[in-house]
Amino acid sequence: MAQEAHGAIYDLLAVRGVSRRDFLKYCSYIAATLGLSEAAAPQIAAALEKGAKLKPALWLNGGSCTGCTESMAQVDTPDVATIVLELLSFNYFETIMAAAGKQAEDNIAETIKEGNFILVYEGSVMTGQDGNTLIVGNKEDGSPKKGTEILAEAATAAQAVISVGACAVDGGWVAAYPNPAGAMGVQAFLDKEGIATPVVNIPCCPMNPEWVVAMVVQWLLVADDDPAVFLEKTALLTKTYKDGITGADVTLNYPEYVVGSTIHDNCPRRGHFENGEFVSEFGSAEEAMGYCLYKVGCKGPQTFTQCPVTRWNRSVSWCVNSGAPCIGCGGLNWVDNNAPFFKRLSSMQMGGSLGNVQPGSVAAVVGGVAAAALVAHGLGMKAAGRIGDGPPMETAKKYDRKRMAKGGDK
Amino acid sequence: MAGQPHYREAHPLVFVMTHWVNLICMIMLAFSGFYIHFPFFPGFMGVARGMHFFAMYVIIINLTFRIVAAFTVKTATDLGSREVDTDIKNWLPQEKNKHQFFETVKYYLFLRKEGVISAKYGSLQKMAYLATIPLTYLQAYTGFAIYGPTMKGGFFAAGTTLVGGPMNMRIIHYFIMWVFIVFTMIHAYLANIYNFNPSKIIFAWKETDH
Ligand code: HEM
Ligand code: HEM
Ligand code: SF4
Ligand code: SF4
Repeated sequence: MAQEAHGAIYDLLAVRGVSRRDFLKYCSYIAATLGLSEAAAPQIAAALEKGAKLKPALWLNGGSCTGCTESMAQVDTPDVATIVLELLSFNYFETIMAAAGKQAEDNIAETIKEGNFILVYEGSVMTGQDGNTLIVGNKEDGSPKKGTEILAEAATAAQAVISVGACAVDGGWVAAYPNPAGAMGVQAFLDKEGIATPVVNIPCCPMNPEWVVAMVVQWLLVADDDPAVFLEKTALLTKTYKDGITGADVTLNYPEYVVGSTIHDNCPRRGHFENGEFVSEFGSAEEAMGYCLYKVGCKGPQTFTQCPVTRWNRSVSWCVNSGAPCIGCGGLNWVDNNAPFFKRLSSMQMGGSLGNVQPGSVAAVVGGVAAAALVAHGLGMKAAGRIGDGPPMETAKKYDRKRMAKGGDK
Repeated sequence: MAGQPHYREAHPLVFVMTHWVNLICMIMLAFSGFYIHFPFFPGFMGVARGMHFFAMYVIIINLTFRIVAAFTVKTATDLGSREVDTDIKNWLPQEKNKHQFFETVKYYLFLRKEGVISAKYGSLQKMAYLATIPLTYLQAYTGFAIYGPTMKGGFFAAGTTLVGGPMNMRIIHYFIMWVFIVFTMIHAYLANIYNFNPSKIIFAWKETDH
């Protein structure tokens, strides 16, 4: 068929030296990530061709390390993923845009005014000290502009928000105890502000770019530029957690394909787990043999992400594959729930002089105290002469004896 | 208490069996649980998990059976007596246990000399035995909440949300194991402190006269 390159996407591909074959291969890869069959690849390709009319978008950073931007942008050979993402026309992208100063600020204002855009938010929402923990630029009157105000404005006008990375999901490591910045996730913040724009969350620290690409593709594929249709036609899974700052229950939307199963369920080392073949120490022969990392703290059994399937760095490898236990960055409140990273269970934050305590230590103390108490009690029972036939028994309950002494029932 | 005879009426064969099943399951669950918690020697994880998953169903069925049987089986109304009544009446706190709780505590703290009148079991003992029922079901709940095939079920997932995630659920499951360990330590100690005749009846179904 004369289905030669046509449309904007193929121009982009040609410029980047990407063959149509590579493009279709990538489309079937995205199909798999979306939980579709490979047969959906041509459909995806068609959607991308159509989508090449460029969707306006803003990429805003809150309290972030820009790791997610890095994750997105760190490709030394331009590939299809980058090109797909270029279907989003980012009018503002702090880390990589050319614009600066007033012009950059104006780009935000303009996009918000025109509406019909997608907001990508990276980093936590820093609400601490009345929002003064994060300030970006000035308002018209010269007063400082808070990050929270920018997000509230942009999210209100946006069609949908993609919150990328653990920080945007629920505050991430920024919100770890004691969270002086008052960091929270986008959904928690929008709930607090009463902004109803739909949010889709992409977990992990940093987020996996392939999952963002898949979301963009999904948007082009099914949404018809309508967030309501998008939400209806996308397989989503919700998770609820209690936000540490607002104290409110927050319900998060995740793409189901991202958080539907545990890492442990899809881990290539699972065979070693079942066989009881564990790495006990880094640098050991067991590690060289690629044994399971459970004993050195792997949080794969408690972490619900698709890392082993999608993998990282354009599908080259991922944490466990490269020899590091999963530290659970795809979970909620992930630092507090998973630190120390190389221990099986997380520590409990007891505060004060106790600091962080491992559950095993608490249990050992309780067990030890109980054993010691029983030994001491046994010695006491012996000293009291009760061993053997037991104590002399009372003939009536003390309560009854007392009552009788008082004259009994009238 | 000791001093009394230990007759089969106190623990009919069916409850000797449920106690054995309970003990064996608990040992299997605690052992495999410790192993799952931290595999202290290689090569056993598949077996440990299999053991855990087997024993967890058995212990739930066993406990449920024990509760149902309490309504049909008759047991001794008092230690050292052959007089019987429906077990549930003897199992729950009853008239004879009234006003005796603090006296029992005082007895064990050496604040009184004479033993305390009780029914088949003392009030403290009854509380401890009865507490193992919700505790076992709670352990089952926390267990199913971290069990792959059931963890996503709404009933279990809701609990996981409540405690702040699967890691916390695992820690709770681990701590409840320690509650069982401490219970069993105290229980085995108190049951056998005077002599081993209570164990002879509950394990070997062998009667003794003091
Ligand atoms: C009664 C029903 C029970 C159920 C349904 C249950 C289920 C489970 C499950 C599914 C696991 C995780 C296994 C894995 O992920 O490979 C587990 C772990 C464990 N279980 Fe149980 N269990 C039960 C009872 C008990 C009891 C009675 C004890 C102790 C007396 C116990 C002690 C443990 C321990 C210590 C762990 C390891 C926890 C960790 O550190 O990760 N379980 N149990
Ligand atoms: C070291 C192991 C154990 C020993 C030596 C032991 C001993 C005994 C004895 C002697 C009795 C009868 C008490 C009496 O008539 O005064 C008894 C009853 C009982 N034990 Fe144990 N036990 C052990 C383990 C356990 C465990 C692990 C559990 C549960 C977690 C348990 C739960 C019970 C209960 C609920 C009863 C009441 C029996 C009934 O009415 O069916 N025991 N045990
Ligand atoms: S390395 Fe981690 S995720 Fe993989 S099997 Fe072992 S415990 Fe599970
Ligand atoms: S494998 Fe674990 S630590 Fe690595 S990215 Fe995935 S969730 Fe995070």
